[in-house]
Amino acid sequence: MTAPLAGVRVVDLTMVWAGPLGTRLLGDYGAEVIKIEGPGQWDLLRGLGGIPRTEPRWYNRAAYFNHNNRNKYSAALDLRQEAGRDLLLRLCARSDVLVENYRANVMDNLGLGFDTVRNANPRIVYLSMPGHGKTGPESHYVTYGTNVEQLAGLVSISGYEGGEPLKTGFSYGDPVSGIAVPAAVALGLRQRERTGEAVFIDLAQRENLTGFVGEFVVDYSMNGEPRAPAGNAHPHLAPHSVYRCAGDDRWIAIACERDEQFAALCRVIGQPELAGDERFATTTARKANERELDAIVEEWTANLGHYEAMHILQRHGVPAGAVLTIPEVMSDPQLRARGAWSAQTHPDAGTWEMETPPWRLPRTPGHARLPAPGFAEHNRYVFRDLLGLDDEAIAQLYADGVTADEPNARTHS
Amino acid sequence: MPLPLEGVRVLEAGTFVSAPYCGRLFAGYGADVVKIEPPGGDLARAHGPFKDGAPNSETSALFLYLNTNKRSAVLDLGTVAGRDALLRLAADADVLIENYRPDDARTLGLDYERLRAVNPRLVLVSITAYGQEGPYAEYHSNNLIAFAMGGQMFLTGTPEGGPVKNGGYQADYQGGLNAFSAANLALLAAERDGEGQHVDISVQHCMAPILEAGIPFYAYNGIWMGVRRGNLMSSFMGIYPCLDGQVGVHVMARNWSHFARATGHAEWLDDERFATAEARREHDDELMAEVIAWAAGMRKKEAYAVGGEHRAPVTFIHTMQDLLESPQLAARGFLRRIDHPVAGEAVYPGPPWWMGPDAWRDGRAPLLGEHTHAVLAQAGLSEAERAATAGAHT
Repeated sequence: MTAPLAGVRVVDLTMVWAGPLGTRLLGDYGAEVIKIEGPGQWDLLRGLGGIPRTEPRWYNRAAYFNHNNRNKYSAALDLRQEAGRDLLLRLCARSDVLVENYRANVMDNLGLGFDTVRNANPRIVYLSMPGHGKTGPESHYVTYGTNVEQLAGLVSISGYEGGEPLKTGFSYGDPVSGIAVPAAVALGLRQRERTGEAVFIDLAQRENLTGFVGEFVVDYSMNGEPRAPAGNAHPHLAPHSVYRCAGDDRWIAIACERDEQFAALCRVIGQPELAGDERFATTTARKANERELDAIVEEWTANLGHYEAMHILQRHGVPAGAVLTIPEVMSDPQLRARGAWSAQTHPDAGTWEMETPPWRLPRTPGHARLPAPGFAEHNRYVFRDLLGLDDEAIAQLYADGVTADEPNARTHS
Repeated sequence: MPLPLEGVRVLEAGTFVSAPYCGRLFAGYGADVVKIEPPGGDLARAHGPFKDGAPNSETSALFLYLNTNKRSAVLDLGTVAGRDALLRLAADADVLIENYRPDDARTLGLDYERLRAVNPRLVLVSITAYGQEGPYAEYHSNNLIAFAMGGQMFLTGTPEGGPVKNGGYQADYQGGLNAFSAANLALLAAERDGEGQHVDISVQHCMAPILEAGIPFYAYNGIWMGVRRGNLMSSFMGIYPCLDGQVGVHVMARNWSHFARATGHAEWLDDERFATAEARREHDDELMAEVIAWAAGMRKKEAYAVGGEHRAPVTFIHTMQDLLESPQLAARGFLRRIDHPVAGEAVYPGPPWWMGPDAWRDGRAPLLGEHTHAVLAQAGLSEAERAATAGAHT
């Protein structure tokens, strides 16, 4: 009944979203994750909490940071100093996995490239997750969350019908990279067990996301014809869109895939005869008269709440879903029933609700067992218990600025 | 060097995108993946886009892409013989991936207790819209509806245009990649103590927490803006039309000076309206006009190159043609040419992450039922038993 990653120690050099989400998932499913930040090079999400920097321990109270860094320990090391690098390599020697999401050449420039870390630990699984990958003519280009989907080809096929390419409403590339991390690490650990050797994994975020538009790549290479953004429309099916509901900016998605679902929809909206109407009787006819049909459907939805319309339609077997806002996903009865949110307490930030581990593995469940660490909260655990430094040596690290108990408040300002 | 998942046996009794994408990743990294198809074939075979636009169950780009390196066995799980054959196959499998509604899965013989009885170490991976339990567990869904119920759609689009999904089948792909991560964790656990389990993936639960800072800001700070921002999140984060396409910009405070130099506007650094992050927010409209004007005069590849040289986070919107012509992807060998007996040669994305030159396979998708006989014989079905399954004639 032990967690899938119990006994696996991870050195986490990631910052912001993609990497920290990935290593948090490792922690959720049992790994011991040690997040390393520099006194002057700390995770910028600590500064995005809207907490004035005059308040005590402001850097431990940013919710965005605290959601993506639970189930981790924190130690501070300045990797630009030789003593900091030496300690990091000693920590790697006692660990199984290193994860980093710097630009391609940063780790090499720090003297912490794969070969160096492998010398310190011949069995390390070293996962790099830069935007473009570690090699290639663009590898040194800077790229962030919203750029990744632009590079992956996704934006070029997204947007309203007949409209311009459109971004996803959030930095979509980041979490898609993050959710790949447990699989990449699991494959790396498996490879290590089999070969007894260190494993290097290069997760180029743009390539990982290109995998999500693969059929468009295959299609274009076969047919040479670009596909324009199609909005909510489906190439063959109708109705297949979002429809206005009662209330301000409230919508429902409806997608009929089969004739009987469409017939049920017609009965629900009080127009059963439409199912036999030649304009709508077949999939082909419905697609040809889609706009007319959409107007008829919206006449019905416009007077109902989005949840209300969804429940009515689903009771009759019609695929439908409310377009949920952020407050609504947090109160949604299905997510509540699944236990998707649970209250967690953090010593500096208080008590609030955050997401639970997303995947149900009933025999080896994930847990939110540790709040996100305060900056450098586990310095003593790492320096004394893991690395065996005595009090004098630890005091010297503080004196030399290799470590600190507080982050430099001038960073990221 | 063996492939990372060599020796792992996977059954995929799924349909369309999410389960097949999970199966594609298993197969690419070396697992033996048997795809169980209904007599008419996977839904993706009927969806296209097709080669030359002509519907053909062997030339759907969607199917070809999602099913590389797999073997195809046709089994009618609507029949007792089909379900019995599935159990025989499951007895020797490490992982079974499915993505039916829980009720439908049980009807097809994909219920965990039955499978566990023949193989306690089996990892059953179920990918559903809402998970195995709860008030909506049996609700009908698809990619569009999942995008709505996962909270991602409300944020995407413009205030006036209404919520819109992004391109392709992104909710389904998210389900597939989440399932691949979860399945590999369960596989590690099963290999340790010989016990499998029923892995329950709710696409809604995967999608809802990853709305950038949206959930943390609402849950902790009580802040919810409730607006869609289209292509312009701010003056320095967005998508801007250029001479031959669109340019993408994502500037953080630390990139500001790099960005100003990349755009040829070093004078912005001395402009007090733009001197600090706070000042730039205050003068967002003025800065936006500047950035729009800069982009409008640029060619996309020129903007990308000059951004790269100056370490400014500037990209351009890559079309499929741009991907095929990308010097970066070419240098890394990411795109692979794969031949297929009916569809011919095409270009396919390679592995989602690189683990060495021989860690990923470039085999083609199977023809419908191409391996039915071999798979059933391997599972020990006699000729008479094979004939009793619906697919045996193919």
